[in-house]
Amino acid sequence: MMRAPASEDLGQRTPAPPAARPRAPRGVRLRRGAPLLFVLPFLVILVVFGVLPLVFLAWISLHDWHLVNGDNGFVGLGNYVALLGDPNFYNALWNTVTIFLEASVPQVLLALGIAALLNRPLRGGRLWRTGILLPNVVSVVAVALVFGQLFGHHYGIVNWLLGQVGIAPIAWQSSFWSSHLAIAVMVIWRWTGYNALIYLAAMQAVPKELYEAAALDGAGRWRTFWSITVPGIRPTILFTVLTSTVGGLQLFTEPQLFDSSGVAGTGGDSRQFQTIVMYLYEKGMGTLDAGYSAAISWIVFVLCVVFALVNVGLVRKLVRAA
Amino acid sequence: MTRTRVFVPVLALTAATALLASSCSSPSEEKVTLSVATFGDFGYEPLFKQYEKDHPNIKIQNRVAAFDAHNQQLLTQLASGHGAADIEAVDEQYLPQLRQSADKFVDLASMGAQQLSSQWAPWKWDQGLLKGGGVLGLGTDMGGLAMCYRPELLAKAGLPTDREQVAKLWPTWEKYAEVADRFTAANTGAKFADSAGTIYTAMINQAPENYFARADDAFIGDRNPNLKHAFEVAGAIGAKGQTAGVTPFSQEWNVAIKQASFATIACPAWQLKQITEAGGAENKGKWDVTTVPGGSGNNGGSFLTVPKQGKHPKEAYDLAVWLTAPAQQKQLFLSAGILPSEPAVYHDPEVLNKTDEYFSNAPTGKIFASSADDLRPNYRGTRDRDVAPEFGRALGRVESRKQGAEEAWGQAVQGARNVLK
Repeated sequence: MMRAPASEDLGQRTPAPPAARPRAPRGVRLRRGAPLLFVLPFLVILVVFGVLPLVFLAWISLHDWHLVNGDNGFVGLGNYVALLGDPNFYNALWNTVTIFLEASVPQVLLALGIAALLNRPLRGGRLWRTGILLPNVVSVVAVALVFGQLFGHHYGIVNWLLGQVGIAPIAWQSSFWSSHLAIAVMVIWRWTGYNALIYLAAMQAVPKELYEAAALDGAGRWRTFWSITVPGIRPTILFTVLTSTVGGLQLFTEPQLFDSSGVAGTGGDSRQFQTIVMYLYEKGMGTLDAGYSAAISWIVFVLCVVFALVNVGLVRKLVRAA
Repeated sequence: MTRTRVFVPVLALTAATALLASSCSSPSEEKVTLSVATFGDFGYEPLFKQYEKDHPNIKIQNRVAAFDAHNQQLLTQLASGHGAADIEAVDEQYLPQLRQSADKFVDLASMGAQQLSSQWAPWKWDQGLLKGGGVLGLGTDMGGLAMCYRPELLAKAGLPTDREQVAKLWPTWEKYAEVADRFTAANTGAKFADSAGTIYTAMINQAPENYFARADDAFIGDRNPNLKHAFEVAGAIGAKGQTAGVTPFSQEWNVAIKQASFATIACPAWQLKQITEAGGAENKGKWDVTTVPGGSGNNGGSFLTVPKQGKHPKEAYDLAVWLTAPAQQKQLFLSAGILPSEPAVYHDPEVLNKTDEYFSNAPTGKIFASSADDLRPNYRGTRDRDVAPEFGRALGRVESRKQGAEEAWGQAVQGARNVLK
């Protein structure tokens, strides 16, 4: 990709072509090179801010690297070996995966439902469509802070509401399931509208003839939805599953700010809601072990790729089955 | 042709960037701008104005951040080699960690700081030292410990409310725990303390050593009886449900103060301001201050350091010396209640006579000065901050009754060992 300008330079520097050769090849070459030129700025940014840091990170992860003092010597795969024997790492991984599932499954279903509703003629349709995107525009820090207070143990509004129906106050932060539930609610609140809007756009591209044919065959609304709409927007569903997998594995801000006891990134007294990126943060910013942190972030990267592939495969199968 | 069109803007941009970079790096010779990065409230603004007036060539830029954010910024700035202020305030909790990176700071001994050493309480001066006699930071305030309480709530439980009598209730933490039982039995609707963590922190700060040995910085958290004892006493109060279970400085803690949800809190000098802010005007006169169980102790207090990456180390050092000098420490205490760390200042009659209106006119000057006099300095290990959270979380598990004290303690020790591996 980086060759594009270079080959052009080459073209420039070659002495004027002999009269026997026609001009055409150079023009063709230019035309071939032009699209590459147009994406060049993006590629440069990708390399500078994406690829190079990743490579540097891999380099750091092979060293005993103190965040402030720098390199303390090469340790090979030492950090990775330590990581694979670290119970806190598996705990964080488990938390991340469970929060991802708790957040993503309801989120996709809800988004599909909302999109289906909005896909019908509706009074003030544009208003609704804009409205559902609103949670996504709100700063995630604000979301986390507000939800953190809603789920407060002593003075939170959720516990107050539960109290109205006679349920004792729940210490949301302190147990595994309650903390996961609260964090999943934040994620769902933030991303459902966004996904719904993407589904809606895709639904509007499903050919009307299919619906008409289904109606002629006597299919009900429910049947039409699962047999025509959902398969019709399959690529879009795959796309959202992919993005929410990547986002879910990197979940940080919501659980980090949900921890009312501080910013250490440990996710509660028993690490009950510490995600894998929070663990990375704890190791990097807390213990200043940059080498270990870098190893975690490479593992996260690999996991993102693996999980994304697995999820896409699963969803593809599910949708096909439907 | 096509090529030129694409590359001209790129070239222009590169040129502009180069120009910008070169114009930034040329230092102005005559006027020196010093940046001072602090957290929370150091009360420095009036002092900066005065210093600028006395030194027309100096301009001071104050950067204030939240406690944790400030320290994280400093770490990343030290790591990347730029962005740190000329003077960086560092809390004593974070200072040991930075000793590992002492080469990123100007050794203030090289500027002649040694000759100032007698200004400070000896332990305070020692906290700012490096192995081998280097000086990492000059002491600002200290966190002398006292006990803040709500007389109204104690009265409801049939306990005395007068400062001296209250102090007699809890000469030791065991007695404090007994008072907690009496208070709880009276069913006032409020809790006795804010959190087990506050009690534990106050207790361990009264011990000469916590997690690491003073002699060789070795981990002794697993066998230091003082630590275990503090864990058990604080854990028991927590497990009995006698605390409000709110973490200091959290939103819930603020609300708990506002709503009078707990009766006592071991308070370092700097915390009075936070209680005042959390409580607001309607709680004025509802609090009082008395002696902490065990009589004295220190929790917190900061230092001014000069990172090497600054362009004006000499000017920065001069300003740091001035800011921490007795006259300024006295002014800070009188104007903002920031507890001085220099005996000559906290024995000054004006300081001793200071009372705090918000806290029922408690003689805070006298209380904190006597707390400072009896203080047994406490040693913090280089990796204190790495292991302390393990024990804090263990205590949290005891407080929320997820674990018994013994089990939680074992897990904390194991966790600490893993971190130190």
